[in-house]
Amino acid sequence: MKKAFRPLWNVMRREVQRMCNRQIYFWTMIVVPVIGSLYFMSLLNEGLPLRAPSAIVDCDHSSMSRQLYRSLDAMELVDLQYKLESFHDALEMVNSGKIMGFFYIPQNFQRDAVGGRTPTLTYYTNMTYFVPGTLSYKAFKTMAVTTSGGIVQTKLVSLGATNGMAGTILQPMIVQDHELGNPWMNYSIYLSNSFTAGLIELMVMLVTAFSIGQEIKRGTSVDWLQTADGSMFTAIMGKLIPQFVIFAADALFVMMLLYKWFAFPLNGSTWALIGGMMLMIVACQWLAVWVTSTIVNLRLSVASMSLMGILAFSIAAFSFPVESMYGACAIFSYILPVRYYFLIYSDIALNGLPIYYSRVYFAALLAFPLIGSTMLWHLKKACLKPVYVP
Amino acid sequence: MKRLFKILGNWFKSVAKAFAHEFTLVFRDGGVLLFFFFLPLVYPIVYTLIYNPELCRDISVVVVDDCRTVQTRELVRMADATEAINIIGYAANMDEAKRAMHEKEAFGLLYIPRDYSERIGRGEQGVVAFYSDMTLLLRYRSFVSALTDLQLTSGSQIRTETLDAMGASSIGGTSMPVDQQAYFLGDPTQGFASFIMPGIVILILQQSLVLGITMLAGGAAERRRRFGGTDPWSIDVPQGAGMLGRMMCYLVIYIPLTIYILHYVMVMFALPHIGSPLDYLLFVVPLLVASVFFGMTLQVFVTERESSMLIVVFTSVVFLFLSGLTWPRYAMSWLWKGVGNLIPATWGIEGFIQINSNGGTLTDNPHPYIMLWIVAVCYFFVAYLALRYAQKYERRKYAPNPDQPYDA
Repeated sequence: MKKAFRPLWNVMRREVQRMCNRQIYFWTMIVVPVIGSLYFMSLLNEGLPLRAPSAIVDCDHSSMSRQLYRSLDAMELVDLQYKLESFHDALEMVNSGKIMGFFYIPQNFQRDAVGGRTPTLTYYTNMTYFVPGTLSYKAFKTMAVTTSGGIVQTKLVSLGATNGMAGTILQPMIVQDHELGNPWMNYSIYLSNSFTAGLIELMVMLVTAFSIGQEIKRGTSVDWLQTADGSMFTAIMGKLIPQFVIFAADALFVMMLLYKWFAFPLNGSTWALIGGMMLMIVACQWLAVWVTSTIVNLRLSVASMSLMGILAFSIAAFSFPVESMYGACAIFSYILPVRYYFLIYSDIALNGLPIYYSRVYFAALLAFPLIGSTMLWHLKKACLKPVYVP
Repeated sequence: MKRLFKILGNWFKSVAKAFAHEFTLVFRDGGVLLFFFFLPLVYPIVYTLIYNPELCRDISVVVVDDCRTVQTRELVRMADATEAINIIGYAANMDEAKRAMHEKEAFGLLYIPRDYSERIGRGEQGVVAFYSDMTLLLRYRSFVSALTDLQLTSGSQIRTETLDAMGASSIGGTSMPVDQQAYFLGDPTQGFASFIMPGIVILILQQSLVLGITMLAGGAAERRRRFGGTDPWSIDVPQGAGMLGRMMCYLVIYIPLTIYILHYVMVMFALPHIGSPLDYLLFVVPLLVASVFFGMTLQVFVTERESSMLIVVFTSVVFLFLSGLTWPRYAMSWLWKGVGNLIPATWGIEGFIQINSNGGTLTDNPHPYIMLWIVAVCYFFVAYLALRYAQKYERRKYAPNPDQPYDA
């Protein structure tokens, strides 16, 4: 039994030596995932970007418009940095990036509002920056609705309604929204979870493809196979296991950072989530093995892994849902291991569901090694006669 | 005076020589061609295709209606009629609805309690609950705007009836005393592709340049290793002139690509594109120059053709966030704002969006444009010093033992 594992052990030792001999492995396997995740956590630390720089254009200068200004300024979503006199000034400020939006109070606003001549409050938000644009829109809209409501309420009370009655008449029905798993609408919870996983996937795929291709490029693949007693599978396993250990350690560090130190929601089973992450790493490795054994060329296989790894951030639907994409694009989402991990994460960590609901995703991740090993014969052929094509 | 002209003439000759020589290097290398041509040609199209549906429409929502009156049926119909919500059906109870959400048949749950109509009939406030899946904020965002509209329209219907009954319809039934109107600048449809693509294309320009340059450098480093310290394909020109010549070569290659990316891609997909061509083409020049010298700075870390990808590719994600496109720069800490200042794409994205999407001019906000030139000049000197240092380091490394094995 011990003897049977000797070649595997030898390849693993050889691989560890190779990794220690080149700096690039240290940088790509340890520094990038660790610093990268720290970067995301630190950048998005605040959770929600409050106080979007905005302006108010007050053409009315009445007591009502001043009241409006003070209420708007008190909102946490916007920071009224400028009080401007004309629409033109405000638009110029948007175009020069100084403000994210502005609120426009027309001339004779108070007179018309009280006199029942229905003035219009307008607000402009810069949607080229989605998050601050949306947040300032939300603040402006709330302000406009409450201003309008306030006037009706005053009138109703003057007609003899109580304050409570007036409130109900004003808002006869409300929709309470409940944000499952992320009631704080924390941006970091939504982004950091998926982007750190995407970063790990990218680095795993790049390093796997790079390290296999190196053997062929440098002509060491014959020696590699020899160490493995001529078995391509042993040779690959010997290469993947040490790399897996390092990436798994990275992943555990990242998960500790997210769920322990930053206390992100982890409502389901911790072990299931860790299992999902480990399976994702293995799946990425085998996806890279499959591509490398099919293409064999070092540069092209690393380039395809870069392509897939970078497109994964978009096509694995971390921000734009798969069901809204064109079918022809959406289908590619399912060849990426990180997509399955993302679904596992959202089920287990965010929504706290039992593993049962993620069964398909786990199974899909398990399929990657099976598919990945189908092209090993091709890699073996190339390894026996290594040719480097630049 | 004559001597000075001669020196200058020689220097210009060196620039021209480096310029011409770089073309042969670029076109001899399939990998670099892939980065310089394939990537800028194809990536913008692939990315836009992914995001081109722009909005999340008709997201599946399941209803639990414990009230089952005319009013609630009307409410559900109104919800179904909004852009964001598609009612997939009624669930008998909360358990069934939850199950539908767990199986991802629905991403939202509308719950109408038993006393909804009763409360409204009594003149009390009717309350319905909406539970939203929070995996993707974009879905939630669509839901929220649909629900706000739902609340406003259905509220105003009920209010009109109440006020009519009170005989006070004049004070605000369907028409409130104050109207409101929202305008979205830069991305009037609030589409996702329209928001993210103008930024991404700039990043593609920078990253493809950096990838190509570092790969060229990796190839040169490999040749130096193979031939004991000297690259047989290199030419002997002063370093500064060489850098300028190379920069001009890349610029010439990138002029058609830039026009394609900044104009034709935008037109092809009808993305926001209201800036004046003169403005954004002028603007993009320092971006390209800065990216080239940024790439030349990074090239000292690349010792092998293929390792360029390992070093550069992941930075795309980092740079995208540093640019403030997804997370605004005013909310960043001084550290990340400072790091972002050093990246050409940060200024490139800010300036290009202002010109392309908001229709600003270069004079409206010259800050990014000036910063890009400053960054470009800085990187020229940084790259100059870094290459100098790397050369000295390599010379020392190869001097004592010219038979250094191929392995580094």
